[in-house]
Amino acid sequence: MAIDPICKMTVDEKTAKFTSDYKGKKYYFCAPGCKKKFDADPAKYA
Amino acid sequence: MAEPEKKKAELKISGMHCATCAVSVEESLSKIDDVASAQVNFGTEKAHVEFDPSKVSLGTLEKAVKDAGYDVVNSEATIKVGGMMCATCVETIEAALRELPGVVAVTVNLGTEKAYVTYNPSLSGIPDMKKAIEDAGYQYLGIAGEVSEEAEKKARDTDLHEKFVRFMIGFAVSIPLMLAMYVPLPITMQALAYLMLIISTPVFVFVAGPIFKAAWISLSHRALSMDVMYAMGTGVAFVASVMGTFGIILTHEFMFYDTAIMLAAFLMLGRYLETRAKGRTSDAIKKLAGLQVKVATVIRDGTEQEMPVEDVVLGDLVIVKPGAKVPVDGEVVSGESYVNEAMITGEPVPPLKSPGSHVVGGTLNTNSVITIRAEKVGKETVLARIIQMVEDAQGSKPPVQRIADIAVTYFIPVVLLIAAGSFVLWYFVFHETALFALTALISVLVVACPCALGLATPTAVTVGVGRGAELGILIRNGEALEVAENVTTVVFDKTGTLTKGRPEVTDIVPVGIQEATLLALAASVEKDSQHPLAIAVVKAAQERGVKMETATHFDTFGGRGVAGTVLAETVLVGNRAFLNERSVTIPADVDSRITEFEQEGKTAVLVAAGGAISGVIAIADQVKPTTKDAISKLRMMKIHVAMLTGDNRRTAEAIGRQIGIDRVIAEVLPQDKEAEVRALQAKGEIVAFVGDGINDAPALARADVGIAIGSGTDVAIESGDIVLVRGDLIDAVAAIQLSKKVMGRIKGNIFWAFAYNAALIPVAAGILYPSFGITFKPELAALAMAASSVTVVTLSLLLRKYIPEAKKG
Repeated sequence: MAIDPICKMTVDEKTAKFTSDYKGKKYYFCAPGCKKKFDADPAKYA
Repeated sequence: MAEPEKKKAELKISGMHCATCAVSVEESLSKIDDVASAQVNFGTEKAHVEFDPSKVSLGTLEKAVKDAGYDVVNSEATIKVGGMMCATCVETIEAALRELPGVVAVTVNLGTEKAYVTYNPSLSGIPDMKKAIEDAGYQYLGIAGEVSEEAEKKARDTDLHEKFVRFMIGFAVSIPLMLAMYVPLPITMQALAYLMLIISTPVFVFVAGPIFKAAWISLSHRALSMDVMYAMGTGVAFVASVMGTFGIILTHEFMFYDTAIMLAAFLMLGRYLETRAKGRTSDAIKKLAGLQVKVATVIRDGTEQEMPVEDVVLGDLVIVKPGAKVPVDGEVVSGESYVNEAMITGEPVPPLKSPGSHVVGGTLNTNSVITIRAEKVGKETVLARIIQMVEDAQGSKPPVQRIADIAVTYFIPVVLLIAAGSFVLWYFVFHETALFALTALISVLVVACPCALGLATPTAVTVGVGRGAELGILIRNGEALEVAENVTTVVFDKTGTLTKGRPEVTDIVPVGIQEATLLALAASVEKDSQHPLAIAVVKAAQERGVKMETATHFDTFGGRGVAGTVLAETVLVGNRAFLNERSVTIPADVDSRITEFEQEGKTAVLVAAGGAISGVIAIADQVKPTTKDAISKLRMMKIHVAMLTGDNRRTAEAIGRQIGIDRVIAEVLPQDKEAEVRALQAKGEIVAFVGDGINDAPALARADVGIAIGSGTDVAIESGDIVLVRGDLIDAVAAIQLSKKVMGRIKGNIFWAFAYNAALIPVAAGILYPSFGITFKPELAALAMAASSVTVVTLSLLLRKYIPEAKKG
């Protein structure tokens, strides 16, 4: 299980619909809101 | 320098009950920096504000309204949102919704999966919120609850109920108190005085409370409203009674507790009646809004789904069952049915709609299922645009109202002066009793009625514009009404306005063959041409059921004619010159017919087969059936009529003769139409230009009143100061008549409002007392005041039933 870097929820990698790649690493999000926040400033959360 | 950005918003205001209230809201809003203009319509209870959205927020505007002592009524919606997982989602959606213009407050609840939005519907609607939510990556799952029209109605009902209770209690208490003054009671005067004080005080506070509160708010803004006058009037009566009770300066004679309460009760009754009547002035718009459909049946993923009409998107296939209203504007793709469009066009006969026809939202499908493809949804639909336009117009004031507005601002100080002056005069100069002088003071304060002045225009405009909409006459603003009233010349564009705008075959003159054969020959050659005359010939052939043959060797000769081979014979179709060129002889009798047609303004198309003439087909853009009638009605109203056309002089004059227009301005290029209008204006004429908006938009704009005509539901709403939904020119006459009627009503209202105050204020001040012994009892003064504003509103409401002369019989 992955951890959503924004809201710290656990996210199942297999079913996660919202992901972002940052510096070669894949990040999983619970919902589009978190992904948006991450994408705006990935360095802050990665 | 770039123009500062400007945005228009409409705020629904509650709590206004007189013209001065409207003025104080207006002032409060205009004082904000970066508010370009603020106009408050007391009749519709709306403020129209133009402001720079980058500097001023809606919240600031609302605060200004609240500071002035009034409230803004916002709409509330509860939206079901899907896809939220955590608190970040809540933030994201709240931020997305808050960014929409007009959204005042948003709360998103993760647990219930709902967003609660308070918003101003003139700036953003549910579809915008839907888009914002979806753009943020979440799902819009529909509306759980929307309070907009209901909120308004509820606010009005509560308000009405409250006023009702107040004046009823006021009467219930003041009447026995009044009787107690006359009926001998087994208690001393002093005991009665205390008893009355105890009974009256709470009742007075309850009944007159709102008046004092409003007066206080306006005083704290250094404004004098009518509430200040009323508070002084009732306050003086009450305070004098209290002083009389305790024997301070005044005696028991001054006990008019009953008067104080009854006065307040009458004022409340007046406001109650006024609010009720005012609510009815916008009935027309409610009727239009009621046409809007809430639910649509849409085919998605191969199944029929019921969904809120807000969710229908362009291109959706929508099923409309018989007896149901069409939800959105669209094109019929399958099915055939008669659709009643009377509610939009005023046309009583339902036209047949078949695949390819267009239907508009709000119309009624009568007899059979049709499927339509959505072409316009939401704010873009014809109905939504009509509603928007009518609402805008209802909020505008014609320039004549300025007289009344200026009068209102001077009114109150003047009345206060007269009231104080009459007290001083009676008491100190003429040595009347203090009781008499005080009565005069109170009467003047309560009889004065700026309300009637403030209501004169907005109520008439609101009702008149609404009535226009019902008749298919959309009036864009109050100014259009005032100008239309004074029009001296009406200029008509010819093509598409006076005439149907499409050429039709009017006469068929065969030479040596059957009529049908002539038509068949011509149509066979013309059927591949896009020339308007060719289309008319082919249409005539189809209508008459004539069989068309295949033409070969088709060739066109630059606007003079066409040639083709039909059944192994060369057929020529064209003008006289074209046939002469091809050495076809035209017999003298045929030639004279051609000249005849030309004199009637028709175009003659000659047909030759095998080198010999076979006949003539006359084609003309025919005059609409009601045109002649409309022209003669305008002439009866002593309005000059002129026709503007690009046709040659002979044709133009022929048509002018046919419909009774003697002033024909022919051979005008489209771009010169505007200059012709200007030339008439230079001669001092007030010009109305009637056109269909196709290539005459500059002329429509240049004219003092541009009247744009539509055809059925295809309405060019953006052009013109007045838009006629139907292409019927009788409506142009009706529009001018309606304008005259509404303006007449406004002027009448303003006159009566002035006359009423001018007549009754001196009487209340006691001017008739020395010679006739006539004075006003304060209660009667309050009643008269209420009656005057109710009269104005009632007179305006009469416009609801107005039928313009042109539309009768």
